[in-house]
Amino acid sequence: MDRWNDMRNAFANALIRAARDDERIVLLTGDHGYSLFDEFRRACPAQYLNAGVAEQNMVGVAAGLAKGGLRPVVYGLSSFVPIRVLEQIKLDVCYEELPVIFIGDGAGVVYSTLGSSHQSTEDVAVLRALPHMSILSPADAAEMTACMKLALSATGPVYLRMGKADLGHVHQAVPEIQWGELCRPRSGDGPLAWIATGSMVKPSLEAAHRWPESSVWSAPSLKPLHVDAIAEICRQHQAIVVLEEHSIHGGLGSAIAEIAAECAPTWICRIGVADRFSRYCGSYQYLLTEHGLNTEAIIHRVTAFLARTSRSTLAAA
Amino acid sequence: MSAFDPKKLRATVLRMAYAGSSVHIACAFSIIEILAVLYRAHLYLGDNPATAPDRDYLVLSKGHGVMAQYACLHELGLVSDDDVNHYFGNGTRLKGLSDAHVPGLEVSSGSLGHGLSVGVGLAMAAQRQRTRQRCFALIGDGEMNEGAIWEALLFAAHFQLANLMVIVDANAFQAMGSTREVMDLGSIAAKLTAFGFLTHEVDGHDERALDRAFTDLLRAPSRRPRGLIANTVKGKGVSFMEADNRWHYSRLDAQTYAAALAELAA
Repeated sequence: MDRWNDMRNAFANALIRAARDDERIVLLTGDHGYSLFDEFRRACPAQYLNAGVAEQNMVGVAAGLAKGGLRPVVYGLSSFVPIRVLEQIKLDVCYEELPVIFIGDGAGVVYSTLGSSHQSTEDVAVLRALPHMSILSPADAAEMTACMKLALSATGPVYLRMGKADLGHVHQAVPEIQWGELCRPRSGDGPLAWIATGSMVKPSLEAAHRWPESSVWSAPSLKPLHVDAIAEICRQHQAIVVLEEHSIHGGLGSAIAEIAAECAPTWICRIGVADRFSRYCGSYQYLLTEHGLNTEAIIHRVTAFLARTSRSTLAAA
Repeated sequence: MSAFDPKKLRATVLRMAYAGSSVHIACAFSIIEILAVLYRAHLYLGDNPATAPDRDYLVLSKGHGVMAQYACLHELGLVSDDDVNHYFGNGTRLKGLSDAHVPGLEVSSGSLGHGLSVGVGLAMAAQRQRTRQRCFALIGDGEMNEGAIWEALLFAAHFQLANLMVIVDANAFQAMGSTREVMDLGSIAAKLTAFGFLTHEVDGHDERALDRAFTDLLRAPSRRPRGLIANTVKGKGVSFMEADNRWHYSRLDAQTYAAALAELAA
């Protein structure tokens, strides 16, 4: 079993446990999730609902179910949920602050062979601008378990971004995660800090070996994001590298830069997908390399960034 | 005068439209009798029309007709004279399209093709929880250009939502012209029937016929969702507005306001 399956299984298992305890939970899928929900369908057949290849209606129906007292969980690929149904999420769900959980699977460039229709590097950016929407982005199976606990206890809409996480475990045990807080899988007292989310936490940990005193933070909660905690990290470090498998426009890098600019200015390097679509297809690792998100490319970028900040002590450290 | 008297409802719409210099008067006038008969005789509203947990749902998916529903809510006491007289005033709560934050309105619509799906969800929630609640979703024929409407119709029939009634305000116009000119729908009744709905067609301004159609559809022993095509006249009730699509957008001035009110008082 690969580790992506670990994370997806953590999601499916958390959902089954919750659905067994609470019959108001209804899983809606737009005809996606082959094999992912086999166990859920066996365990809670009455709570599984295939809404067909009709995502707009699926989200409207989820809003109606929530208004009628149920707890819908809407599953889709992140290129369809939330992107294709953004207006339904805005108007039918967020405007009324309804407790609907959206699962965006395959976020980033996971579907590396299928091209831009199935890749999503803008989902966080668009949802950050929707009032009442919370956004979670777990880095591994352990964070997924903790994030599902948060999502299922939320009273308003939640988007859970499920990227590929077969790059390795980040945590040895399920961490305690609170809304807005970061966790720190690697501590250090050097002047450089890394803040990463989702699939980019593991490459950050690998790249951080090059700067042994640097610390690495994981951000499973992208919205809300505790301003004070981020500002404190900015104050304590001379340079911050932010990594995400998402556009550098509007995602975690932007959120950190916004906080830094307003509260605690420092050098920030945003590493993510530049303002472009994937050009070629190939393996997931190939696509990460195309976008400069492999460990080697990250080290190269950060080295150049540190040189540019003219903080020679950092660059040489 | 019976409750929800259409002339009185239209006069309330005119008062609001004149106070707020609002457009969409004709969109409201075509659904007056539909709403009047529903509120008067078929909608179960429990002990509170806005919050009773066991209430029937009336979903105004064609949000552009919202002044007609405000007029009904005015009769129910949920919209005040002050709301009517200061429509669109700064800091007021009643917007020009259906808005779920207003007690008595179930959905936020106006971006078309949203309300029906939410109504389908409400009907499904009631069915899954085995309540007796029904959902009446009022859509426009112009709104049927939206793909989401057809997704919702497919879904409702597939899941046998017999407690859902889709009412089509078939006034034969949309924003920029007649439905035939803009996007010809052909037979809406045939389409709904083909989609698996138990479908009736009715004169949408004949209150008795509407009442009978609602009763027949609700009583029919069928597991199919219900469809009612209400053939209506856009702008119905004021002669110079009837079937004149300019009244989708036109605003009242003192002269047209007085003339329209005079017709309703006659």
